Amino acid sequence: MTSNPNVTLSGPNVTLSSSKGGASRPVAIAVLIAVLALLPAFVHSDYLLSLVDTAGIYAIVVMGLGILLGFAGQLSLAQAAFLGIGAYTSGWLTTNLGWPAWPSMGAAMMMSALVGLAVGYPCLRLSGHYLALATIGFGIITQLVLINWKSVTNGSDGMGNIPPPQIGSFVFDSYGRYYYIVLVAVLACAYVAWRIKTTRVGRALEAIRENEIAARATGIDATRYKIIAFVLAGAYAGLAGSLLAHLTKFISPDSYSFDQSVVFLVMLIVGGSASISGAILGAVLLWFLPEVLRPLKTSYIMVYGAAVVAMVVFMPRGLVGLLDTLRTRFTRRPDAA
Amino acid sequence: MHFDPVANMQLLVSGLAFGSIYALVALGFVLIYNAVGVVNFAQGEFVMFPSYIAVTFLLPAITVFGTVVHWQLPIVGVYLLVLVLMVGFGLLFNRIAYHPLRDRGWMPVVISTIGVSIFLRNAAQMIWGSQPIVMPSLFAVDTISVGPLHIRPQDLLIIGVTAVLIAFQFFLFERTTLGKQMRATAQDRATARLVGVRVGRIVAITFVYSALLGTISGLLVAPLFTVTKEMGALIALKAFAASIVGGFGSIPGAIVGGLAIGVIETFGGFYISSAYVDAIAFIILISVLLVRPQGLFGERVAEKA
Repeated sequence: MTSNPNVTLSGPNVTLSSSKGGASRPVAIAVLIAVLALLPAFVHSDYLLSLVDTAGIYAIVVMGLGILLGFAGQLSLAQAAFLGIGAYTSGWLTTNLGWPAWPSMGAAMMMSALVGLAVGYPCLRLSGHYLALATIGFGIITQLVLINWKSVTNGSDGMGNIPPPQIGSFVFDSYGRYYYIVLVAVLACAYVAWRIKTTRVGRALEAIRENEIAARATGIDATRYKIIAFVLAGAYAGLAGSLLAHLTKFISPDSYSFDQSVVFLVMLIVGGSASISGAILGAVLLWFLPEVLRPLKTSYIMVYGAAVVAMVVFMPRGLVGLLDTLRTRFTRRPDAA
Repeated sequence: MHFDPVANMQLLVSGLAFGSIYALVALGFVLIYNAVGVVNFAQGEFVMFPSYIAVTFLLPAITVFGTVVHWQLPIVGVYLLVLVLMVGFGLLFNRIAYHPLRDRGWMPVVISTIGVSIFLRNAAQMIWGSQPIVMPSLFAVDTISVGPLHIRPQDLLIIGVTAVLIAFQFFLFERTTLGKQMRATAQDRATARLVGVRVGRIVAITFVYSALLGTISGLLVAPLFTVTKEMGALIALKAFAASIVGGFGSIPGAIVGGLAIGVIETFGGFYISSAYVDAIAFIILISVLLVRPQGLFGERVAEKA
């Protein structure tokens, strides 16, 4: 059996973000960003904007998981735990110590990264199913701590009154305003992920993903790079958790369950695991899928489960792979492999 | 702390009973893993779903799809009916969640079993609602007295049935052609196929067998708790932890690991902290992974990946 998820899931690295677009690509990205920046001008429903904000935040978590699984080939099911650590760090610092939101966000990211380091250091000696299991264990322990460490986390009652960020007297207290924080964060995280992918660290991770023993033989310190990927995944989730806390102003332990980690994993796989645009697409699509299925009422999560199976069976390389195939078919570019 | 031998004996019995459940579910994991190289994340639903089917036929009145039904069939007949239905379930599961993905490595199969798990949990909620349901047991009394001990007969039943099943499995694997074919498939599929084993059929049988192990655990454990859509999830995670503690892929490891986790968890929940009782299995797991990654009986983990 293969230990490599990407050969089977994402196939060759032909994705929207890495295919050759020539000079048109920066233009396309600029247009996309401009359109995204204008979005709140056209969307007036608060409900819809809250969904968009959350989709963006989840895209950050999934990008982090993409670095770990897509780039480095290591499966973690603890993303929701890191999301929770970020959210509670932010919540505790702002409500108990009266910190402003911005430094709390930084601290939340640091905290998740540090916990990622502490957990990753012993756990990354394992791989495959075993790493997945160790991270499941870590996730469950984290959730139990959030529920039971009442003096800090307030237990199952959750933590409320988490203040929104502000610049001077401008408070990001509406979903429309918060959207811009999320947009900047998503773009920054995508940029960092893209830089990682295209530089030395990314190549080292890719070598580890393809064949860890061979990578070690060429002098790559595999353990160190895997820990880097794990810490980055933690930091992304920590930032996302903090963003979520300041958006919803209320956090409680049940949002950071094993099931939530599974949802993040599914988002990544459906999007296309080795691709940054795939991570974002998968997060956004699967976040909105239940909304689209809402007319089905109680059966919608059931249909969601069936849809996941169907997508894995019929779209082996995820959404990005599907889009790529379609594009090749319609444009018939000779260089598009 | 006051040390009470009677209380400790009672804890031991109840720990062994939970441990037996973990061991049965862990065996289901290990058998599928050995046959197809994939961890089945829907294993918990192999415990939950048959429990719901059983209560549907057992209770004097139960709401199914919003209508009240009154079957109330005899308990042994219901057990047999559920086992028969779960044979079909195992075959269907193999056909939908594993078979189309069999040549694509482990990750897509893991995702598809996760999808099936989401599907089944919510199907259960849709069919039977979200209220926990109490399953009747075989016994009229909750506890019996054995000398100074107060013991739940259900615990003894669990331990007894598990012992019989383990003996049966030993017989199956060591003494029958089918069992030998299952072992051959687990060891090396290509070679097994070369010597005439119909690997596809053996894999299907393995899924069915694993579904039946889950079913029996569900029928045994449900009277102690309640039937809910979440009942299988935590049992399966702890069973998975147990199989790793024992050494993944090892059948004696799954049994010993399951029993050990059940006993340690029960004592830990009593003496240390009942709030963190569900963390104990995973703390043991992470410690074992760090100190002896291959588990108690296992091969080297690092090379399995």
